[in-house]
Amino acid sequence: MSNVIPLLNTLPTSVAPSDVEFFDPPMCCPTGLCGPTLDQTLLDMNEMILALQRDNLRVERYQMASQPNAFLSNAEVMRLVREKQMEALPIIVVRGKVIKVGAYPSTEEIRAALNGAIK
Amino acid sequence: MTQFIFFSGKGGVGKTSMACTHAVRYADEGKRTLIVTTDPASNLADVFEQEIGHQVTPIEGVPNLSAMEIDPDKATQEYIDRAMAPIRAAFPAQIVQVMEEQMSGPCTAEVAAFDRFTDFLDVPANDGVIFDIVIFDTAPTGHTIRLLELPAEWSQSIDTASVGTGQTCLGPAAAIQDAKHKYERALSAMRQTEQTNFVFVLHPEEISIKETRRAIDELTKLEIENFSLIVNGIIPREGTRNPLFAARAEMQARYLVQIEFNFPYLKQRMTLLADEIKGVSKLRQVGRIFFDAEPAASLDEAAGVPVQSEMIVSSLDDVRARLAPNDQRRTVFFAGKGGVGKTVASCIAAVWLARQGYKTLLLTTDPAAHLDDVLDSPVGNEVAQVSGQPNLWAVNIDPKAAAETYKKRILDDARQRGRPVSAIKMMEEELNSPCTEEMAAFDQFIEYASQEEWDSVIFDTAPTGHTLRLLELPVDWSKQIDVKVFASVDGTAADDVAKERFGKVIEMMSNPEQSTFAFVMYPEATPILEAWRAAQELGTVGVHPGLVVANMVIPPEQTTTPFVQSRRVMQEKYLKEIGQRFNVPLVQIPLLPHEIKGLKMLTELGEQMYGTEKVTA
Repeated sequence: MSNVIPLLNTLPTSVAPSDVEFFDPPMCCPTGLCGPTLDQTLLDMNEMILALQRDNLRVERYQMASQPNAFLSNAEVMRLVREKQMEALPIIVVRGKVIKVGAYPSTEEIRAALNGAIK
Repeated sequence: MTQFIFFSGKGGVGKTSMACTHAVRYADEGKRTLIVTTDPASNLADVFEQEIGHQVTPIEGVPNLSAMEIDPDKATQEYIDRAMAPIRAAFPAQIVQVMEEQMSGPCTAEVAAFDRFTDFLDVPANDGVIFDIVIFDTAPTGHTIRLLELPAEWSQSIDTASVGTGQTCLGPAAAIQDAKHKYERALSAMRQTEQTNFVFVLHPEEISIKETRRAIDELTKLEIENFSLIVNGIIPREGTRNPLFAARAEMQARYLVQIEFNFPYLKQRMTLLADEIKGVSKLRQVGRIFFDAEPAASLDEAAGVPVQSEMIVSSLDDVRARLAPNDQRRTVFFAGKGGVGKTVASCIAAVWLARQGYKTLLLTTDPAAHLDDVLDSPVGNEVAQVSGQPNLWAVNIDPKAAAETYKKRILDDARQRGRPVSAIKMMEEELNSPCTEEMAAFDQFIEYASQEEWDSVIFDTAPTGHTLRLLELPVDWSKQIDVKVFASVDGTAADDVAKERFGKVIEMMSNPEQSTFAFVMYPEATPILEAWRAAQELGTVGVHPGLVVANMVIPPEQTTTPFVQSRRVMQEKYLKEIGQRFNVPLVQIPLLPHEIKGLKMLTELGEQMYGTEKVTA
C-alpha cells in the first residue's frame, strides 16, 4: 500500500502540442452535471470543445486535482495562479499563449486567437 | 489462503452477535482472525466491551483475535490527505482549501470508506502478519449492496472517464485509476467460492426473508454466489409455554418451512436467548450453543424479579404534540437501525394522522423499503392514494428509479435548449456515474419535503448510517454550493435558487415546530446505544430527537413463564434507560402474536398508542 497516490507522474506522454488548453477552476466535473445545479456555461464550453475537436484541433482540459502537473509545467499559468489565486481561473491558452484569465471565452475569441496565431 | 466471511442481513437480526461469535470461535481454534466493520453505526465495541476504533486492535482475552471499526470520517480524511499531498506542496493555500472542501463531499466519503474496506481484501494483513480469516460485519443490507455494487459501476465510470473527458465525480481520475486494480482484485476475491462466503443472518419472519432474497439476488447479479444462512431468534421450547410466544413460535415454524423450501444453501439455526449477547465469555457460550448444540443454560436467573407493570408511560398529550401538526405542516422522521420497526412505526403514525383528518404523505428513501408489505397495499414510485384509507398518500423513492427520472429531466432540458447530439451523448455518459443516484434520491427528498399541500409528512427513513448521510446531505450540499459559487466564474442565479431551497429544508429539519425526529429501537442495550449515537450525530447538525418509540415490548400481562418474565425484566431495565437517555416522550409498540400488517391492525395499534379522540390544535 503506497501512502501517496501518484498524481504527478500520470501526464500523457504525447508529443504533439495542444492547440487550445483549458486550465479549469476546481469543480466536480467539467459539465457541472455532478453539482446540485447545472451550469449552462460549462455545458456551452463542452459543446465548443467538441466543435473544435471536429475541426481536428487538439483541445485539452486540465483539472488541478487530477492533472496538477499540467499546471506546474506551465510557468505563466502558475505565475497567474500564485498571483491571483482563484480569480485567475479558468485560464485559456491557445498555442502556448494565455488568451483569457478568470473567465471562459466565446467561440469567436478562440477562433480569433487561433487565426491570429496562424498568421 | 485467507478466508473472507461477510455477515449480511438487516440490522437487528443479530448479525453482529453472530459475526463476533464466529470470530471468537475461529480465534480460539488457533486461527489468526480479524473482524472488520464498515457499518457507520458499528457496535463491535459494545459487544466486546472494549474500545476498538479506526485501527486494528487486539481483543482482550482472545489471543488470536483483532478487530477494527472503519470510521467513515477518518477514512475520508486519510483518502483526502493521500490525494492532496502533492497539491498542498505546489499550490497556494486558498486553492488548496477550495479543493479540500470540494473533496469532502458525500461522494468522497463513499469512495473512502470503500477504499479502506478493500484494503483488507487486497492485503489481509497487519504489521506483516497475514490473517487466516477476515470477517466483515457489513453494514445493513441496502447500504451493503450499494457498496458492493460500486466496484462494477466504478470500473465502468473509470473506463468512461479515461476515454472521455478524463474526469469523474469520484475524485482525481488518476487516483482512481491507481485504485481500480485494487477494486477489481477485491471483487474477484469476493467471487471466489473457495475463498469467500456470504452468511445471511435472518429471522423467521416475512420481511426478513424478503430482505434476504433481495440481497442474494443482487449479489448473484454481481456473480457472487457462495451463500449460507443463519436463522436466528428461534423461540426455544421452554418459551412456548406462554400463549404469546407459542403463537409466535407457530408463526416461526411456518416461515422456517418457507426458508427450507426457498433457499438451497447451508442453513443453521440459532435459539432466541433470554438474555443479551455481550462480552467474550458470553460469546464463547453462544458459540457452544451454535456450533456444539449445547443446550442454552436454564435462564431462570431473572425469574423472581417482579415485573413492574407501570413502566415509563408518557402522557398522551405530550406524545401527540410531537406527532400532530400544529397550525403548520409537521414532518416526522422515523430514524433507527434497519429492522427495528421504523416502517411499522411510520405506518401506524401515518394511518393515525390520516384518520385524525390530516392530509398525510408517507414516504420512504430506503432502497430495501417494504411500505407496501406493511400497508398491505401497493406503493409505487409516484405519489398515490392508499386505497381504503382516506387522507393517506404514499410513495417509495427508489434511488435507481429516481436517477433515471433525474437523468431524463436533465437530458430533456438539454435537448430543448437545442444542444447538439454529441454534447447530449457526453452528458449522458457523465450522468451514468454512481453519484447520480445519491443526488437524485436527495433531489426527490427535497422536492417532497418542500411541497406545501400536506398537513403531515412521514418519512420512513433508511437505516441509521445511511439515514444520517442522507439527512446530512442538505448541509453537505450547501457547503458544496458555497464552494461552487466561490469557484464559479459567474455565480449563476440557478445556484442561488438551489441554495435557498436547501436552506429551507435545513431550517425545517431543525425546527421542532415543523419537524419531529422519532427514534425507533428495541429495548435492548445495543439498539439503544446505536440510536443514541445516531441522535448525537444529528445533534451536530442542529437536529434533536422529539420522540422515542420502543418496539416489540412484551405486555406485562404476558409474563406467565420464567422465560418470558426474564425477557420482560430485561426490557424494563432498558425502557428505563431509554427514558433517562433521551428524555423525550416515549411510546411503545407491543409484541404481538403475529406480524403487523394491513390497515385494520395499523388503525387498532394507532388508537392503542395515540388514543382515539381528536387532537385539537
